[in-house]
Amino acid sequence: MNGTVAVARYTLVELSRRRILLVFFIIGALGIALIGIGLKVFSSAFNNVVISGPTAPDPAKLQRAFELGFVNDLIGALGFFALLIAFGIGMTVIYHDLDSGAAISIFSKPVSRAAFTIGKVAAAVIAMIAIVGVLSIEARLMMLFFGTGGLGEALWIETVAQVANALTVMLLVMALSTWMNNIVAAIVAFVYNTVGGFVVLLHSQLQAGFLGDNQILKVGLNIVYWLVPHQLMSDARRQIALAQFDLFSSLDTSTPRGQRPSADQIVSSIPGASGAGDIIWWVFVVCLFAGLAYYAVRRRQV
Amino acid sequence: MAAVVSVEGLRKRYRSRDPWAVDGVSFALEPGQAFGLLGPNGAGKSTVVKIIAGLLRPGEGKVTLFGSDPGNPMARQDLGFAPEDPDFPKFLRATEVLDYFASLLGLDEDERKRRIPETLAFAGLDKERRQIRQFSKGMKQRLGIAQAILGRPKLLILDEPTADLDPLGRRDVRALIDQLKASGVAVLLNSHLLSEVELVCDTVAILARGRVLKEGTMAEVVPEGRNLEDVFVELVQANAPPRDQLPSFIKEQDKS
Repeated sequence: MNGTVAVARYTLVELSRRRILLVFFIIGALGIALIGIGLKVFSSAFNNVVISGPTAPDPAKLQRAFELGFVNDLIGALGFFALLIAFGIGMTVIYHDLDSGAAISIFSKPVSRAAFTIGKVAAAVIAMIAIVGVLSIEARLMMLFFGTGGLGEALWIETVAQVANALTVMLLVMALSTWMNNIVAAIVAFVYNTVGGFVVLLHSQLQAGFLGDNQILKVGLNIVYWLVPHQLMSDARRQIALAQFDLFSSLDTSTPRGQRPSADQIVSSIPGASGAGDIIWWVFVVCLFAGLAYYAVRRRQV
Repeated sequence: MAAVVSVEGLRKRYRSRDPWAVDGVSFALEPGQAFGLLGPNGAGKSTVVKIIAGLLRPGEGKVTLFGSDPGNPMARQDLGFAPEDPDFPKFLRATEVLDYFASLLGLDEDERKRRIPETLAFAGLDKERRQIRQFSKGMKQRLGIAQAILGRPKLLILDEPTADLDPLGRRDVRALIDQLKASGVAVLLNSHLLSEVELVCDTVAILARGRVLKEGTMAEVVPEGRNLEDVFVELVQANAPPRDQLPSFIKEQDKS
């Protein structure tokens, strides 16, 4: 226990001094601030220019449209920076100790490889939650200033889902970087994550009936689906899409009512909130990757 | 007296197609004894000490550290190991490194407060506030020795401890070894500096190509009227593969 706490504590001290994480954090914080400020500037400029003619849209509806776009962008920005930070932490947290030879002095002490791995993983998870947590608090502050589009709650849940997804990637990079060079590990993890995301998207399209009824495709995709991590999702994207649909269909008077797509059609093409099965699968994948990291550290001769 | 370290028929190779890096090495080390492990580059000395420190797994044979498998963390409780070319988490400071390692050793806060400043002062790093990434090789070597003695070990393994040290640092290490020996600590010294080994070690083993060529007390290995260096060179050359002559371009330079 002492060993785990010591490894975690000093790994956190090290992470707090790594410039790469500081740079990612500053870029993330600036990016989120710019999205909010940009929205404010754009919406006030738009209101001044457009809202004057006889067919001018309702300013309240316009404001809501901007807010929905803002929340959508925030979700994207948070997800992107969570992933960047996951790569930044995963690539360095174990690899640098092994690569520099620091592990020789550490492993000659009475600390087990399991305690070392648990300490490293704990520190990495704490660091990521702290950094993404601060960014999401900043996003929340931006929403207080510029409006939430009524989706404040959804953003929180989406943030948790994105941290969970970033955690999976971080553990994979961490495990791979004990076997191979950390840059190669990051590339392999990136490709795996991208392919995984694509498979999950295809699977949701299949479930929604957009890919026809081909049995071979169904079976194949179902098998592949259970070989990749499932990105966890909240209902936020569906809620945004629905809100945008309601808003724009009320503004659209040129298309006859019968020819407009239904809300169900819009929603079914967007992956919904993850179910219990996906969450259990995520827990399994996290345990698997953490186990892989331990196995690699245990096997490693320094 | 129970052996601190016992190595019996140790063999190790890194990959199945590689030759044996260590081939049938046996020796034992008792409390208060200073044992010198000598050999040319690539003789297998560092591999032997890394196996004793639980960092590498033995291929064949048996190694015990305080009667247990060195892979067992508890067996390493009384081990101090100063590796060759030591390195540490590079964004930490010397005090933090020692505090980190003291925590791994399970030292309580009072002990840490007492031992860390004294150990840093011994290593000449007590005024140092920079992070490890800004340390020179010599400073890292000093810190390597400092972390090795921090837990007041019963076995101290020093792998090329003075390679990057200045003469004052070397003298300090010699004094440290003498003091530890006198207090019953076993010392395993792995060094190329034969004069130093001759000064501090009671027993030596000379390795080449993974095998022990000669082992015994200093008096047994070094006959009267000769020195360790002569014996070492003679033994190693007799067991070395034929070496290439000087490169032809060097000879050409000589002619001109």
